[in-house]
Amino acid sequence: MKSRQEIYDIVRKTLVELFELEAPAVVPEASFNDDLEIDSIDAVDLIDHLSRIFERRVTPREFRSVRTVNDLIDCIDRLQTQ
Amino acid sequence: MMRGRTDRLHAEASDYFASGKSPAVRRTDYYWLRLVGTGLWFLVFGLVTFVLGFVVLPVIRLVTPDRLRRQHRSRAVLGAGMRVFIHGVSDLRFVEYEFIGRERLGRPGQLIVANHPTLIDVCFLLGFAPTATCIVKAGHFRNLITRGAVIGAGYIPNAPTEEMIHTAEAALRQGETLLMFPEGTRTVPGKPLNMQRGAANVALRAARVLTPVYISCEPSTLSKNLPWYRIPPRRPKWTLRVGEDIDLGAYRDAPLPIASRRLNSDLAGLFGGAIPMRD
Repeated sequence: MKSRQEIYDIVRKTLVELFELEAPAVVPEASFNDDLEIDSIDAVDLIDHLSRIFERRVTPREFRSVRTVNDLIDCIDRLQTQ
Repeated sequence: MMRGRTDRLHAEASDYFASGKSPAVRRTDYYWLRLVGTGLWFLVFGLVTFVLGFVVLPVIRLVTPDRLRRQHRSRAVLGAGMRVFIHGVSDLRFVEYEFIGRERLGRPGQLIVANHPTLIDVCFLLGFAPTATCIVKAGHFRNLITRGAVIGAGYIPNAPTEEMIHTAEAALRQGETLLMFPEGTRTVPGKPLNMQRGAANVALRAARVLTPVYISCEPSTLSKNLPWYRIPPRRPKWTLRVGEDIDLGAYRDAPLPIASRRLNSDLAGLFGGAIPMRD
């Protein structure tokens, strides 16, 4: 079980590593599509990577409702309590 | 609405042909025979596709319980159909073609990427590398004429993205040959290539070998935005050239999203196109 802060840190580290983003740009309100310029193919790479780290399968259906970094943290938080 | 749009395009095309910009175009090589023949061939092609998909492939399905064997048999049948189509149009001298290096297609775990100037590119590639699976427009899985065939052969729909990528990855890992058109649709003549990143991404995930095929058709015909009956004044010739395998090892030190952008940009360079501004 990881706290929301820990999840946030991992998500941010992953986004910086995978997409060469600047860490300060990855704020909870940042939108994947508009602010971070992460498209549908990037999203597949991101889900695959996070699924390996958290050992949880984020299904595409769950991910489709994710718009911002905060949504993603919520999504992972929900999955680890299941 | 579609009607209006197509009519306008036809009008533009006729203007182009009628304008003095191009030298007076003489219709040669039995123009009218080629025109009627082309129409008939498309009719036959549609009918045969439908019959294969709804009669022949279901029979194969009944006698072949194993999924992989069934798909390979179905692809062999469809590939033979496409070969007959290609031989037909070239024997009847509606078209000419040259296919260089095709013996290097069809290797296990091979991803074949090709540009897509014309409607029938896939017939050359799957006709001569029939064991391959192919990423196909999702609409073909709903179209009454094509759905039986694409489902029976186990081809992969291009949407939704995550399913396409994971299914394509699994196919390559199982040692199948996969064909993708990285542009996702036919090239619009005169426009730079708009390379999507899906092919590069799938290549880096799972391809054992990545092989480009360069296709050209001179004079241009059956391209996007042109109806089938706008056949060129002289007999068109397709040239398909299988290029050197691309070394994927050179990209593997970066994380996948970065590496696939690099590979995509190199592919765009190879095919002589440009990539979207955003990348």
